[in-house]
Amino acid sequence: MDDRTLDLLLSRVEKPARYIGSEWNMERKEVFDFRFALCFPDVYEIGMSHLGSRILYRVLNDMDGVYCERCFAPWTDMEQALREMREPLFTLETKSPLKAFDIVGFSLLYEMCYTNVLTMLDLSDIPFLAAERDESYPLIVAGGPCTCNAEPIADLMDAILLGDGEELEPELVNCVRKAKADGVSKRELLLRLAAIEGVYVPSLYRPVYENGRYVKTERLHERAPLHPVRRVVRDLDSAKYIGRQLVPHIQIVHDRVAVEVMRGCTRGCRFCQAGYIYRPVRERKMETLLEQTRELVRCTGYDEVSLLSLSTGDYSELHTLLPRIIDDMAENKVSVSLPSLRIDSLLKDDLEKMQTVRKGGLTFAPEAGTQRMRDVINKNVTEDDLLRAVTDAFTAGWCGVKLYFMIGLPTETDEDIVGIAALAKKVSDCFYRLPKDKRGMGFRVTVSVSTFVPKPWTAFQWCAQDRQEEIVRKQQLLKAALKGVRGAELHCHPSVLSVLEAVFSRGDRRLTNVLIDAYRNGCRFDSWAEHFKPDAWEKAFSANGLTMDAYAHREREIGEPLPWETVDALVKESYLRREWARAQEACTTKDCRQGCNGCFGEHCEDYCRV
Amino acid sequence: MKIIAAFEKTKELCYTSHLDVQRTLQRAFRRANLPLAFSKGFNPHPKLSFATALATGYTSDGEWIEVGLDRPMTPDTFLETVNAAMPVGMRFVRAFEADDSMETLSKLLVAARYEITLYTDAPVSLETLKDAIGALMDSDEVIVEKKTKSGVKPSNIRPEILEAKAVSASGGIAVAAVVGTLTAAGGLRAETFARALFLRLGLVGRFTAHRTALCFAGSDLLPRLA
Repeated sequence: MDDRTLDLLLSRVEKPARYIGSEWNMERKEVFDFRFALCFPDVYEIGMSHLGSRILYRVLNDMDGVYCERCFAPWTDMEQALREMREPLFTLETKSPLKAFDIVGFSLLYEMCYTNVLTMLDLSDIPFLAAERDESYPLIVAGGPCTCNAEPIADLMDAILLGDGEELEPELVNCVRKAKADGVSKRELLLRLAAIEGVYVPSLYRPVYENGRYVKTERLHERAPLHPVRRVVRDLDSAKYIGRQLVPHIQIVHDRVAVEVMRGCTRGCRFCQAGYIYRPVRERKMETLLEQTRELVRCTGYDEVSLLSLSTGDYSELHTLLPRIIDDMAENKVSVSLPSLRIDSLLKDDLEKMQTVRKGGLTFAPEAGTQRMRDVINKNVTEDDLLRAVTDAFTAGWCGVKLYFMIGLPTETDEDIVGIAALAKKVSDCFYRLPKDKRGMGFRVTVSVSTFVPKPWTAFQWCAQDRQEEIVRKQQLLKAALKGVRGAELHCHPSVLSVLEAVFSRGDRRLTNVLIDAYRNGCRFDSWAEHFKPDAWEKAFSANGLTMDAYAHREREIGEPLPWETVDALVKESYLRREWARAQEACTTKDCRQGCNGCFGEHCEDYCRV
Repeated sequence: MKIIAAFEKTKELCYTSHLDVQRTLQRAFRRANLPLAFSKGFNPHPKLSFATALATGYTSDGEWIEVGLDRPMTPDTFLETVNAAMPVGMRFVRAFEADDSMETLSKLLVAARYEITLYTDAPVSLETLKDAIGALMDSDEVIVEKKTKSGVKPSNIRPEILEAKAVSASGGIAVAAVVGTLTAAGGLRAETFARALFLRLGLVGRFTAHRTALCFAGSDLLPRLA
């Protein structure tokens, strides 16, 4: 794209800096023979905050002769400008159209971004369906957590990448590169790809439906594995990390250095898909982390570091690591933050340490209001843990705390909903019980409530989601119960969105046409409330003879064939069944650091060394 | 001590805002390992201030800043180390040392020079452009609608225009050079001048603005108005 055209496009949009690239640490390459477009189907500010994309940008650009460029979903104003000017969507690095790339890879972090994938293909003049693309088109692939059930978008993708990408992506690139050199057909390329551990080629499998229900998947070629297996990086400590992290010009959602302290989580919360699909837990060594933090800060100039993982509070050497990193960083006035805090730890010293640098927000996720409910979801924290932690925080000077909850959980009763308000009341009391001279001013306890979405590969994968009327009733009940709690503020996530999320997270391949119809009906950026068009979705479902209700609100029978079981996410179905049975009895399962719970079945020994 | 320096902002980087630029400079200074002086207080931040902000979308040959340092550093070293840490599209072009008693840049600022390019919907000849600018300069009043906090109001920008002349015109592209007042209290905006010129020409279109210089009074080291 020439400068004049780019200028014209940029002059027409609200936030032109989303599309300019040229950030510090952006890759500039003159010599390359293989082009990879790393695509994120949401806006720049969100996509640039994604840890996985940052890692892959490094992994791919460190390969000889490979140039990996970025592309994000254009906001609606840019989409309109591109259409009116008949220009294709372009990458940030060289402003090239996606069609010019060898591989176009999408990171799928949440189901509500699927329509944006279509926007990006459409604006690149690339047909949606894999079956309609010959060798002249780039290979279209997808990775990220959503691929643990990729069925709703399976027909769009040539290949789907399951699990960790650090080793998988270079193998993918090398395979495609060799196939191009060999001049083989797309069909042969797909068969070769299918042989790579972690690659799922949807066109080599055909789902079968009977009486409107999924019954089984037929394998169409003997060179395709029976069940493509999720890829796992065994040694995270020596795996590539972000290295020269990009430093955006505009403020992004997570605008700081990201240090991944570990991958996976041992807690076993039964609702949490990430907890299941990133197993086993793998920690980086403390020395590695100190080194990586120093390097990242040095080469970015950021003044804030975040120690990332699903549960950083569980990092085995946290109480040694945290003071060391804080001391290390204090000299240059760099602050350190933790994205999630474990309630049941001795936080006090760490909190005081962190406050000496800068005071960030404090969030806890009890997830449920009563002990019974927390036992059902295996969130092994007690009310005492929470109250002790917030009291510590309030004493250390914090005067605001955010509490995350879910409603609509399996076996939930009104007592559990009212319990959320009761817990918020106790937190509020903890603050006001402190003597006036020992506590801050302007106290806030923010109760943030989302709607439970049953997810594949979790103990709750068979559960029906509460219908919307029921969720709204429960939200009202909570609102009433929170009246009179000093400092309490309620935020509820819109429940309509959660229904669509539930549909797509446990969907099958019949949803591809629904998705395409919804896109044609104007659906874009569905996770943005201002863009979400429930009627357009409704129309798309009925045009295809399907209902959201059947996907979201139907309880699956144990043993019923499930569309996502074509792939193997490593966690065994028998283990999930066991967990579901225990959940119904409000019986907890221990953290697997305290002993193996056997989630990988016969593979426990191979994969897991906790 | 403090360093006074000017950077240029070119190409796509014009689309970053003043806040973005502040962050970008702070990070570049950290990468360059400058011995930054920090403000005191609970939330210390580097002592960095701008002569003025540059509107988003404008390019510039010289935006002036002052930055406090804890240890002395020669201007040449400053230019070398900082430029090695600046993103493509932003580069320091001048620097000198000043003692702490020097008045702040925003107080010394008096005017700014711009090159304004109009992309018009119909061709404009150099004569037409010259006439239009001449007519603007000869008027006692140049009224343009200005957005204020209390809504859109007609405003006379003539006193803010110090100089204006036609540079070139061919096809649908007309270029004017303008000098306008600019102080901490405000001054001529390239955007309002461009609108006044479009009005006078009886044409519509879009424009780009390039700031060629900031002009100061009271210091021989800084660019002056004359």
